[in-house]
Amino acid sequence: MSFTRRAVKVPPNSASLEEARHRVIDFFKTACRSIPSIIDIYNLDEVATVAELRSSVAAQIRKNSHITNIKVIDMLLLKGVEEFNNIVEHAKQRHHIIGQYVVGQKGLVLDSGTKDQGDSNFLKNFYNSNYF
Amino acid sequence: MGLGMLASRVIRPTAAKLSRSSSLHFIRPIVSTPETSSAQSQPQPDPTPDPPPPSPRPPVGGARVHFPNPEDAIEVFVDGYSVKVPKGMTVLQACEIAGVDIPRFCYHSRLSIAGNCRMCLVEVEKTPKPVASCAMPALPGMKIKTDTPLAKKAREGVMEFLLMNHPLDCPICDQGGECDLQDQSMAFGSDRGRFTEVKRAVVDKNLGPLVKTVMTRCIQCTRCVRFATEVAGVQDLGMLGRGSGEEIGTYVEKLMTSELSGNVIDICPVGALTSKPFAFKARNWELKGTESIDVTDAVGSNIRIDSRGPEVLRILPRLNEDINEEWISDKTRFCYDGLKRQRLNDPMIRGADGRFKTVSWRDALAVVAEVALQVKPEEIVGIAGQLSDAESMMALKDFLNRMGSNNVWCEGNGPNPDADLRSGYIMNSGIAGLEKADVFLLVGTQPRVEAAMVNARIRKTVRANQAKVGYIGPAMDLNYDHQHLGTGPKTLIELAEGRHPFCSALANAKNPAIIVGAGLFEREDKDAIFSVVETIAKNAKVVRPDWNGFNVLLLKAAQAAALDLGLVPESANSIESAKFVYLMGADDVNMEKVPSDAFVVYQGHHGDQSVYRANIILPAAAFSEKEGIYENTEGCSQQTLPAVPTVGDARDDWKIIRALSEVAGVRLPYDSVGAIRARIRTVAPNLLNMDEREPATFSASLKPDCSQKMSLTDFRPAIDNFYMTDSITRASKIMAQCSATLLKK
Ligand code: SF4
Ligand code: FES
Repeated sequence: MSFTRRAVKVPPNSASLEEARHRVIDFFKTACRSIPSIIDIYNLDEVATVAELRSSVAAQIRKNSHITNIKVIDMLLLKGVEEFNNIVEHAKQRHHIIGQYVVGQKGLVLDSGTKDQGDSNFLKNFYNSNYF
Repeated sequence: MGLGMLASRVIRPTAAKLSRSSSLHFIRPIVSTPETSSAQSQPQPDPTPDPPPPSPRPPVGGARVHFPNPEDAIEVFVDGYSVKVPKGMTVLQACEIAGVDIPRFCYHSRLSIAGNCRMCLVEVEKTPKPVASCAMPALPGMKIKTDTPLAKKAREGVMEFLLMNHPLDCPICDQGGECDLQDQSMAFGSDRGRFTEVKRAVVDKNLGPLVKTVMTRCIQCTRCVRFATEVAGVQDLGMLGRGSGEEIGTYVEKLMTSELSGNVIDICPVGALTSKPFAFKARNWELKGTESIDVTDAVGSNIRIDSRGPEVLRILPRLNEDINEEWISDKTRFCYDGLKRQRLNDPMIRGADGRFKTVSWRDALAVVAEVALQVKPEEIVGIAGQLSDAESMMALKDFLNRMGSNNVWCEGNGPNPDADLRSGYIMNSGIAGLEKADVFLLVGTQPRVEAAMVNARIRKTVRANQAKVGYIGPAMDLNYDHQHLGTGPKTLIELAEGRHPFCSALANAKNPAIIVGAGLFEREDKDAIFSVVETIAKNAKVVRPDWNGFNVLLLKAAQAAALDLGLVPESANSIESAKFVYLMGADDVNMEKVPSDAFVVYQGHHGDQSVYRANIILPAAAFSEKEGIYENTEGCSQQTLPAVPTVGDARDDWKIIRALSEVAGVRLPYDSVGAIRARIRTVAPNLLNMDEREPATFSASLKPDCSQKMSLTDFRPAIDNFYMTDSITRASKIMAQCSATLLKK
């Protein structure tokens, strides 16, 4: 994985929350710019649009929006850059991208919950597993 | 021992000398451990200060002393501390009470004393030689010393002799890690041996599909021989040959045909007798032990389920003096491989082509609820299986009642069970209480196959008190002395009218016990038979304020709890007009009676007999995977604990019914085990008094007279095959092998 090591340089720590924020936004922009080429590399045009992938990246970043510790933000950013590099360097395969960013964390179950409405918590848990 | 004494006299001074001048020795001497030699060179502290302090150590294993009459207490001194023990105890037992654990191989507290391994040697003041403490009675004022150099040297010597012919195959031995020989050679053995010759080898014996033998490892302690003759009651094992040619075996090539044979695996102190199904499966330190209850019969033996990850690897007995002592039956011990076969793991619906299709829980419950709501309430029938726990039976009864039906019962309890008087369906004297009886009358029950642990109790009583046993039922081999009085109700009538010779034995008995088999519940004339038995009981004064010898021996784990919870059908023939049948693990129901247009729901853990008729399958958890209350035949409720996770998409039984009730719109008001137990408390509070036997309050004399006509057909055996009685054992390969080899006539 020499190319990854080349690509990911550990930058110096951010001096302030403001600087960390800018770095994240810069990273988001870079990622957005390369989405079309990613769609190209992995043949994603049948399954996803640019806008969908963009919001999926944004969701990944927003997931950590509550974090205020600069060191943690830097660390997460580094992980993000690493992941991003893996993607653009084609170190991943198509199903990885589909699994993580197209189908998303929720998995294949598109359960919008209309069926279980009105059920007690017991029944909802019961359908999920035996252990609750 | 003369030789040993001589040897120690010779060696001791040398050893002391050598350890002092530790330079250049060419021979490697066998010496005691350094502390021994130094303790030896120092003067001993006065062993009996006046007055001697009581022993500061707690008794081994929390043993308690019971003095039958106080003047029989004698005082002995163990390592300088005084203890009071009852007369007739052995030196070894006295040491245990003083808190000193004496190493032993052949001594076992439940077997007779053999005194042939010599590991338990201790020094007693004023005796010329060390004495075998397990065989020597304690005498007043005896001064026992358990950790003197002499005792230590004696133990080292015995260990050396034992290891002389013991193979060094601990790495491939299944006993490794729980081997008495291994532990005691670490604790008491010498760190080197003088043995250079060739070890002996012994041919392995074939004892059947359960017990694996590696006879070269045997140390001739004869525990297995004594167990077989004394507890199991089969004279199959014995000792052949003398000296170093001594061997354990069956005299002629023969399998061990006892339903308790698995216990020799536990009592064998080395790896000579091990479990064949468990061979090379796991090491004991990798296993997680879960204390649970056996459900294959109504005894409720206490067991420990050893598991690794999701797999049950073996089942061992747990000590419970009131129920199973420390034995379990072979069915209990070896049924566990049935937990891995034929399991139901997904909800399934039978399609139009007659094949089962996997569906989600949501869809399965929706279908069941829809059908249940379409039929008339009196056409709904629920049957609890023989392995059901109290919680799920409570939920089933509540669910059916809310649906408007009252036709719910537990299989094995017969068409019209009598749940009103608890004394009419439990073992009133208790399993341990049977030891007080001096005459037994077995009516239509074959305890040897119906409840092997109860049979072991009766056998124990027969051996200890020469109790008489009269047996009415089809001819069978009970493994103790008994009189076969007859085969059916005719003999019962003779007994009731006092025309039978056995009547005098019953009348003269101090504590007569009558045991009635639950197989009779299935008979049409059950009430008449029970009233005749009650007449016999009245004539022989079986029920008195100080002794209640009227016992019913149940067959199945769920029966007692089902009757306590009132699972009694409204009408005996409701199944013939049923449109919706809910089987909660019930596999012994006669499916031909169910109308062909009825919708059958099977909730259970094994694809057994009833699944062939089921329209929908709801997978549930087996006893090893859930927490559930079971009440045994003597009315003691105990609980199982989950040892392994459930299989696939299965759920606990009561949860399924609770979920179904909500889908059907009659939501049950409990969401947790605690809540459902609170509901049980309102119906049968005795089920929650865990591990305590709850005796029945009223006795059978309150019963109204019965006008039923008794038929004279003979009693039939309640169980044809001891090894296969429920869905778990029927799925087990080991049990199938046992039935094939051991039941051959
Ligand atoms: S087989 Fe085991 S229990 Fe039997 S005599 Fe040998 S060592 Fe003892
Ligand atoms: S235990 Fe005493 S001789 Fe074996």
